[in-house]
Amino acid sequence: MFSFRGCSRWVAVSLTKQHHPSSRFSGDSAAPWTPRFDVVVIGGGHAGTEAAAAAARCGSRTLLLTHRVDTIGQMSCNPSFGGIGKGHLMREVDALDGLCSRICDQSGVHYKVLNRRKGPAVWGLRAQIDRKLYKQNMQKEILNTPLLTVQEGAAEDLILTEPEPEHTGKYRVSGVVLVDGSTVYAESVVLTTGTFLRGMIVIGLEMHPAGRLGDQPSIGLAQTLEKLGFVVGRLKTGTPPRIAKESINFSILNKRTPDNPSIPFSFINETVWIKPEDQLPCYLTHTNPQVDEIVLENLHLNCHVKETTKGPRYCPSIESKVLRFPNRLHQVWLEPEGMDSDLIYPQGLSVTLPAELQEKMITCIRGLEKAKMIQPGKENASCPSHQCFYYFLPFILWPGYGVQYDYLDPRQITPSLETHLVQRLFFAGQINGTTGYEEAAAQGVIAGINASLRVRHKPPFVISRTEGYIGVLIDDLTTLGTNEPYRMFTSRAEFRLSLRPDNADSRLTFRGYKEAGCVSQQRYERATWMKSSLEEGISVLKSIEFPSSKWKNLIPEASISIGKSLPLRALDVLKYEEVDIELLAKAVPEPLKKYTKCRELAERLKIEATYESVLLHQQQEIKEVQRDEALQLPKDLDYLTLRDVSLSHEVREKLHFSRPQTIGAASRIPGVTPAAIINLLRFVKTTQQRQAAMDRLPKTDQHLCNTDKLEGRQL
Amino acid sequence: MWRGLWTLVARAARGPRRPCTRQGSGAPAPASGATVFALSSGQGRCGIAVIRTSGPASGQALRSLTAPRDLPPARKACLRLLSDPRSGEPLDRALVLWFPGPQSFTGEDCAEFHVHGGPAVVSGVLQALGSVPGLRPAEAGEFTRRAFAHGKLSLTEVEGLADLIHAETEAQRRQALRQLDGELSHLCRGWAETLTKALAHVEAYIDFGEDDNLEEGVLDRADSEVRELEVALGAHLRDARRGQRLRSGAHVVVAGPPNAGKSSLVNLLSRKPVSIVSPEPGTTRDVLETPVDLGGFPALLSDTAGLREGVGPVEQEGVRRAQKSCNFLDTVVIPAGAGSPNGRSQRLLLVLNKSDLLPAGGPDPSADLPPHLLLSCLTGEGLDGLLEALRKELAALCGDPSTGPPLLTRARHQHHLQGCLDALGHYKQAKDLALATEALRVARGHLTRITGGGGTEEILDIIFQDFCVGK
Repeated sequence: MFSFRGCSRWVAVSLTKQHHPSSRFSGDSAAPWTPRFDVVVIGGGHAGTEAAAAAARCGSRTLLLTHRVDTIGQMSCNPSFGGIGKGHLMREVDALDGLCSRICDQSGVHYKVLNRRKGPAVWGLRAQIDRKLYKQNMQKEILNTPLLTVQEGAAEDLILTEPEPEHTGKYRVSGVVLVDGSTVYAESVVLTTGTFLRGMIVIGLEMHPAGRLGDQPSIGLAQTLEKLGFVVGRLKTGTPPRIAKESINFSILNKRTPDNPSIPFSFINETVWIKPEDQLPCYLTHTNPQVDEIVLENLHLNCHVKETTKGPRYCPSIESKVLRFPNRLHQVWLEPEGMDSDLIYPQGLSVTLPAELQEKMITCIRGLEKAKMIQPGKENASCPSHQCFYYFLPFILWPGYGVQYDYLDPRQITPSLETHLVQRLFFAGQINGTTGYEEAAAQGVIAGINASLRVRHKPPFVISRTEGYIGVLIDDLTTLGTNEPYRMFTSRAEFRLSLRPDNADSRLTFRGYKEAGCVSQQRYERATWMKSSLEEGISVLKSIEFPSSKWKNLIPEASISIGKSLPLRALDVLKYEEVDIELLAKAVPEPLKKYTKCRELAERLKIEATYESVLLHQQQEIKEVQRDEALQLPKDLDYLTLRDVSLSHEVREKLHFSRPQTIGAASRIPGVTPAAIINLLRFVKTTQQRQAAMDRLPKTDQHLCNTDKLEGRQL
Repeated sequence: MWRGLWTLVARAARGPRRPCTRQGSGAPAPASGATVFALSSGQGRCGIAVIRTSGPASGQALRSLTAPRDLPPARKACLRLLSDPRSGEPLDRALVLWFPGPQSFTGEDCAEFHVHGGPAVVSGVLQALGSVPGLRPAEAGEFTRRAFAHGKLSLTEVEGLADLIHAETEAQRRQALRQLDGELSHLCRGWAETLTKALAHVEAYIDFGEDDNLEEGVLDRADSEVRELEVALGAHLRDARRGQRLRSGAHVVVAGPPNAGKSSLVNLLSRKPVSIVSPEPGTTRDVLETPVDLGGFPALLSDTAGLREGVGPVEQEGVRRAQKSCNFLDTVVIPAGAGSPNGRSQRLLLVLNKSDLLPAGGPDPSADLPPHLLLSCLTGEGLDGLLEALRKELAALCGDPSTGPPLLTRARHQHHLQGCLDALGHYKQAKDLALATEALRVARGHLTRITGGGGTEEILDIIFQDFCVGK
């Protein structure tokens, strides 16, 4: 056993004074008092909480290691969850019994489905969330999860041992060293350190390490990871200033009201915790030429914008908006931060100007003429979320700021989020170069499940890009990498019509239940009922056939053309925009009436009908992709020295770096030619034949039995 | 939307379970992907050409072309009249074979059409197949790859596959380049650009329309662009000329310094006065093309302006065109002078003209030149040698079965352009924006099969370039 020790011991000592590293909070009273766990998750953010809870749901004794228990569930940026593409991710996290959707159903203050008029495949469930409530509810959930223990403390280093010979990787992680020098042993470790790896906060020309409490341990970890040979990159992101609610003149602004009724995020919730009439509105205002002027005049005071650290192609800050799209009015959404919060979050105003200029800029925006940026001193009492910020930001004002941080090139991890380099070490969240709570949560669930499966010697749980946005996210990251904070858009999903928010349960819940064991019995039964009801409903709708003239008589509201004499199925009639199950059941009460009773079922039948004809075509393409993805590449291939395969040097290097696990993934790497793919195919086939011959030999070595059989499974 | 279920679930859990397990009603039939077709026999003159299909719709394809007859008995050759399923127009009397899977070359259902080898027949059958629903032209090496996937090939057989695919993609790329030189190229690239932009804007409207302020009328603009594209594509497909020169055969360019006798050589090879010849340098000022039969192979022979500098603007343009022409050729014949005109590695025949002016029995003036041929256009001496050398070059080019014949490329173009047009029609009809965008995605997929490109990143690039979106 050997260990890469970090530096700065004295910092660790000073840190331990403020923490209580030995205090453990356990939701499982029977948890034994021993620093030995199946899974240790480092970081209590959106990826960490999901990972820890998922591992525990899968039955692993899990430790969540976080700086402070009271920052678990902290929403450190925007006070909202979901949106277009992101809402899809949340539905999928929920389908795997993840937390964030259920917690959002208990903590929102403004629920609204975006893209209502654009087709159900691209509906975006979204809500403004009360920061305080979310944190409270998340902490309650985490602290009451069986098998999950929470400990305050900061990880400084990883304990590494010799690798298992039957898997690839140079080392194997077997535990964590904390800043106080104590150790925790673990079978798997999930790293979800967010922006904490060498994080720097930028306001104007000032740069500060990302927090007195946060940065030191993460510098140690960052060094360890770098020493191990991980390729590190740097990204930047930003957040807007906060504005005092009472200083805003809302009466002259556009008001946006929430949906009525509210649509819950979770499949197992029928309603959200709050009535629509009790929810808070959002307001819309716009920037103006004066804002542009202030930004442009003070560019020299703004090192975040000038720096070469990669920012996204999209516009993360008001500076980049003004620079790239001058002379335009930009939207600013004024969003509530919570029921009893005095704060307003001006979405669209991320800025890194010096604080006093930020105030000057804000006050020239309509409705914000008298706006006050919040001073944390005053805010301290009323907003508990401030604690986190205090610990980020020891400033007098609460201005917007930029963050620059290290991320690890995600091509160094497998689709199960385990690193190629260190066995049983998993990365999830911003550390992989993503941005957004939902992207982090999605990776967290997958990392937690796989960390647990790995301990139990089970095959990894991988979601294909044909099965979910989670699959698109992870496949994009692991095969293409990213050089801007990766954010989910529906345009990234090639099978968008199949991967809808409404059917996430039928795509993922069954797999989660059977393969990972991360789904509760209750949820599984519900999804089963829904699936069979849908199938039954569709076949009934297909079986009802009338001439179009008869349909026209039955449902005069529908714009059915009676020109054709071909009979129409009820399913075809349901495709018309103006027809729903309700209307159809009025026309043909038997046997359709029963499908109107459950609103979700009725809605989902309508959606299935809308996309039926196109889905048939898409199914074919999906099959072709899946066929390539069923062709597994051996994990231990050394592409650089492999002699039996004729590959160009360029292709070898690309394969070596990304280590695709299937032929499908290999074919998506830019620069890997069709000819190279065929050569790889041939190699796989030869290897399999050899493997099959080996398998026929009597097994004398126990190791052989434990070997991951996936490699030889398909084709 | 997803409400009101809980009570029902609870009820279902409490009460007797409902018999609701009628399986597979909504699931599509287990198809193993698309059905592909391709000309399987080589290019060049042949008595019989073999066209193959592979995939679940093969039977359907066979029936559509031979309608109304049933499928022939498995693996037995039958004579059938092939006709176009759309127009009913007879195409050819041909032998057809039906190989139901898995006992077939690829392991899938396969059909073979042994048709007469004329280009009109072959292209007619290919276009007819392209119009059968579920069929598309095969990608490079796709048949072999399918066979491999179904365990129908031994490993030794697969070894050649990668090379073949490499050769095919390379040949297709060159083919496409050549075909895309000229009007069609501009058209296709322009269409692809318009479509990508329209798609990017609709995608932006979906992903950012609610949160960020896209300018007004994004969708309307995309709609009108799609409408214009539809009109243009429709007109192009209806136009018999198609603005496209079908370059059947290899492209042979005669290039070299002025007054070397290039035009004389072209006239000699084509046996007709294509170019004006005169003793004056710079007589030919443009690229003149003429289809010829060289040693049994179809070829397009180009006469070019002599490569020299410091002349008038017209001739300079001629020189520019000559150089450009050399970018798309298969063989360059250079009378006198050394080296490829554009420094690329191409098939090159160095020919020294005016051998009649050499003193008989004198020392060889060209001992230090690379391998070359001596020719006299005046006396015809050396012509047989040149023809033989050309025949060898062309045989190497055209005899290679992997080189897709131009008519196949044309069938591909037409298939994808028609597919694009059909998809644009769906875009117009769709009320659901996600469905409409899907139609645009399909349309773009067809166009990018011709022009290349087509990734998601391209779309995102346009979105972020054209719109101010973000946090």
